Amino acid sequence: MSTAPFPVLSLIILLPVMGAIIIGLIPKQAVTKKIALVIASLEVILTGLVFILFNPADGAHFQLIEHYPWIPRLHIDYLIGIDGISVLFLPMSALLTLCSIIAAWNSVHHLQRLHFALLLLLEAVTIGVFSALDTMLFFLFSELTLPPLFFLISLWGIGPKRRNAALKYTLFMLFGGVPLLFAILLLAMNHVTAVNGSLPEDLSFNLLVLLDTPLTSNLQLLVFVLFLLGFSAKAPLVPFHTWLPTVLMEGPTQVTALLIGLKLGLYGILRFTLPLAPSAAVEYSWTLGILGAITLIYSALIALQQTNLRRLLGYASISHVGLVLIGIASLTMQGLQGALFQLFNFTLISSSLMLIAGFIQQRTGSNEAIHLGGLAKVAPRLTCFYFLFMLASIGLPGTSGFPAELLLILGALSAHHSLGFSALAGSVLCAAYMLSFTRKVFLGPITQTSVNALQDLRPREIALLCIPALLVLALGFFPNYLLKTNQMAAEAWLSHLLEQSTLEHNESIPFSTPERP
Amino acid sequence: MNSLVVLIPLLPFIAAIIIGIGQLVGFLRDEDSESTTALIALWTTSMSFLLASTLLGTDLLHKNASSFLVGQWLSSENLSIDINFITHGFSLVLSTLFSLLLTIVLYCSINYMLRETGFHRFFFVLSLFSSAMQLLILSGNAVGTFFGWEIAGLCSYFLILYTYNRAVATINATHVFVTNRIGDACFILGISLSYTWAETTHWPNLKTVAAQLTTGEATGIALSFAMAAFVKSAQFPFTPWLVRAMEGPTPSNTVFYGAIMIHSGVYLVCLLEPVFEKAPLAMGLLVIIGGITTLYSYLVGLTQTDIKSRLVFATSGQLGLMFLECGLGFWQFAKWHLCAHAIIRTYSFLTAPSLMHIVYGKPIAIARPALAKQRWAYTASLQRFWLDQLTDWTLIRPIRRLAHDLSYFDDHIVDHLAGIPAPAINTISSLAELEEKLIGGHLDHSDQFSYSSGVIGKITELFAGHTHWFENRFVLGGLSKSTITLGRKLGQAANKIELLVLRPRYLVIFVLITLSLAF
Repeated sequence: MSTAPFPVLSLIILLPVMGAIIIGLIPKQAVTKKIALVIASLEVILTGLVFILFNPADGAHFQLIEHYPWIPRLHIDYLIGIDGISVLFLPMSALLTLCSIIAAWNSVHHLQRLHFALLLLLEAVTIGVFSALDTMLFFLFSELTLPPLFFLISLWGIGPKRRNAALKYTLFMLFGGVPLLFAILLLAMNHVTAVNGSLPEDLSFNLLVLLDTPLTSNLQLLVFVLFLLGFSAKAPLVPFHTWLPTVLMEGPTQVTALLIGLKLGLYGILRFTLPLAPSAAVEYSWTLGILGAITLIYSALIALQQTNLRRLLGYASISHVGLVLIGIASLTMQGLQGALFQLFNFTLISSSLMLIAGFIQQRTGSNEAIHLGGLAKVAPRLTCFYFLFMLASIGLPGTSGFPAELLLILGALSAHHSLGFSALAGSVLCAAYMLSFTRKVFLGPITQTSVNALQDLRPREIALLCIPALLVLALGFFPNYLLKTNQMAAEAWLSHLLEQSTLEHNESIPFSTPERP
Repeated sequence: MNSLVVLIPLLPFIAAIIIGIGQLVGFLRDEDSESTTALIALWTTSMSFLLASTLLGTDLLHKNASSFLVGQWLSSENLSIDINFITHGFSLVLSTLFSLLLTIVLYCSINYMLRETGFHRFFFVLSLFSSAMQLLILSGNAVGTFFGWEIAGLCSYFLILYTYNRAVATINATHVFVTNRIGDACFILGISLSYTWAETTHWPNLKTVAAQLTTGEATGIALSFAMAAFVKSAQFPFTPWLVRAMEGPTPSNTVFYGAIMIHSGVYLVCLLEPVFEKAPLAMGLLVIIGGITTLYSYLVGLTQTDIKSRLVFATSGQLGLMFLECGLGFWQFAKWHLCAHAIIRTYSFLTAPSLMHIVYGKPIAIARPALAKQRWAYTASLQRFWLDQLTDWTLIRPIRRLAHDLSYFDDHIVDHLAGIPAPAINTISSLAELEEKLIGGHLDHSDQFSYSSGVIGKITELFAGHTHWFENRFVLGGLSKSTITLGRKLGQAANKIELLVLRPRYLVIFVLITLSLAF
């Protein structure tokens, strides 16, 4: 654990807010985009700096910590820091925001200033979510993502029901927020009883303190279920997933790319659900596994039926969320590292596919398979990029999808055979839905006149897609670079979970280690 | 000397990158640059042939180490996957042979493909394929082999897609890739099992560890790799994909389905010889599947009327024989058979376009009289024993229908249960509005004062509604129209659910769930 010599994380959180304020103060439309671009690029550089400052050898501990009292009476602090699990999310959020600002460059015409200001605010809040180490602060940041997203979806959405979609999204997230708040309060109250203190002097929302506070097994179960319920709406898991396809259909593509790429819910499950209720988590990891398997197969099957590219990407992403959950539930090093890898892939692959869907939407006014067909002939560059990301999403060797999927399947199989088999079935189904949709949209004869007049990718768009494309390829060939970053943190995460649970539950046999003769 | 092995797959890969980037950027696009592309592809492949043959020569002089380690690719806890290559024995022989055949095919395709629209694309895919194939053969561990295995499959997908604006080609390509994906899943299963049970994914280590494996473990590993091999080499239930793959230019058919890629299944089985020796069940399966495929291919091949289909069934029949030989324990024989078959098949595929000239005026061999008399056999053979339709009927259609049902369920039930935001317009805000609505046709006393969303909202609404309904009944008494309608609706819903549940696909799912829980 080390405090930061210089408040770099706070700077990263504050800079976009400042940017948004500057955009608000300068009434010129023309400068807006440039300010946003400069701020977003600075963010990428700063988060890159954090990644360099971060010491992976000590990744098990939180680093660059900043600690200031915020509401002293309730012991709610402004406590932020990063460890090996969260460090990669920072540059990825910054990069994704930069991508979506570039993608919005020419596509947003009305209320331009507000749009870019909201994007920057969203970036600040997202980075806050990934670095908050105080449960209350985390809750605050995760609820603060709602206002920018609500307006981004409802004001610039491309579907006719965008307002409904925004409302639906907000309601689902608020629904998820309630159990989260309950769980956070429960943990704070438990700290009072654990130290035999009194209210409100001994309330604690500090994650580092809470991780070491013992919790009775009944309370653990309660906290586990509440956290899981809260995060399953955000992740999203079946049956709380219906907001995602709706939002993807109605929202603006550069914003939905952000939404699909940053999995706050899964991050929450990794950061809070399991470590804060370790023995319950180990004992009930099978529920996570089953939930993951159902989510995986269910949405993969539904994806087979989709006729719209954005809806397809939505269900594909839900399906991959299921796979990640299986990896986490396996409670093995491979499963966990695979899950972290896959979370990284969401930002690279799903978001890029969503941006490509946006480019197609801009050109033809539709993402429906029936309005497209034969795109490969008229837009070879777009098709090339699409194929690369599509194949990465299937998990083809040579792309970053493969090591993640391999690790996840290895972890799942060593935890339980049925989990492994559902993961394998998921990988076959993934190829089926992706390729059959690709066939309808990109291959075959051209039937629509609007497709015939389609323009291929412009240099700006190519430059935008090149960054994730190169990362996908680089990590496909050198996955170790990523794995080394979170190795220590993942080991500590896992041993914390398994040790705590064996301390408290000596008699129970964890699900993850079936005995073999 | 050993380090040269890296260049064998690397050189064609570099060629593929150059051609690919050249096409994207635009300096290799028109007909003038065709010769540049062809030269790049040809030179790199022949260089890798020279390297392979040099290495083979030194290996024959016993100057090679058995493997060459490049570095670590991935590590997670005790799982460590290296990039390493085998530098001796059968792998090197095969590498030399295949790179020679690839060079020949590339040379022939320069004239065959001249001034075709996809000339550059064709050479890009072929270079990538030769790199993938060399990696498949030379890699010293299972993951590396899988790398090549999958990229080779992708190349085959791209070449079936050669004329991508033809609908049939695209359907076939998708079908072939998804079928192959089943084999790939089995391959990954094999990798995982060998990691959990034998704690290694390196081929040489796996061979030495094989002796310590129990029969059950060996059978598990062998069966999953065998399934992967069956799919890749188009053995019995999977044979139909091979016919679908016959789209695309003839030279590519030669390398993929005649001479090279199709043999990778047999090669995989040969690599795992010691593991298979420990697993009698897997050996039995090799014999059975190999035997059935040989018989099937012979019978179906008799009635094929075009040259390519006939060659395809000849190939799958020969591969069946190779699996049969492996299953019976004649490993060395199978390896020789593989090499010989690869050479012969390259020749026969490359001459296929001019075969009509060669056999002009000569009668076609007729099937045995005893067999020719069987009308049913003729029909069955002509229909390829309905294998395609059978998989469609047993696998693809049920999955499609299940997907359809689930998609309906998701849109109409889950979405409703989870709550759709009801805009304020839909809510009845005053009693007057309620009155209006009641007069406007809603005479069945559905007392909706409120319109809500979400599970909790719905529950509240339902509760309120029912209390009101009960009160109404209590005042009015007796049986009314709405009770009968409700009863009828309930009955209909129950009928629907029963019908749904009794469909075979759901029964199968229930059985599967039970099995997976018991497992």
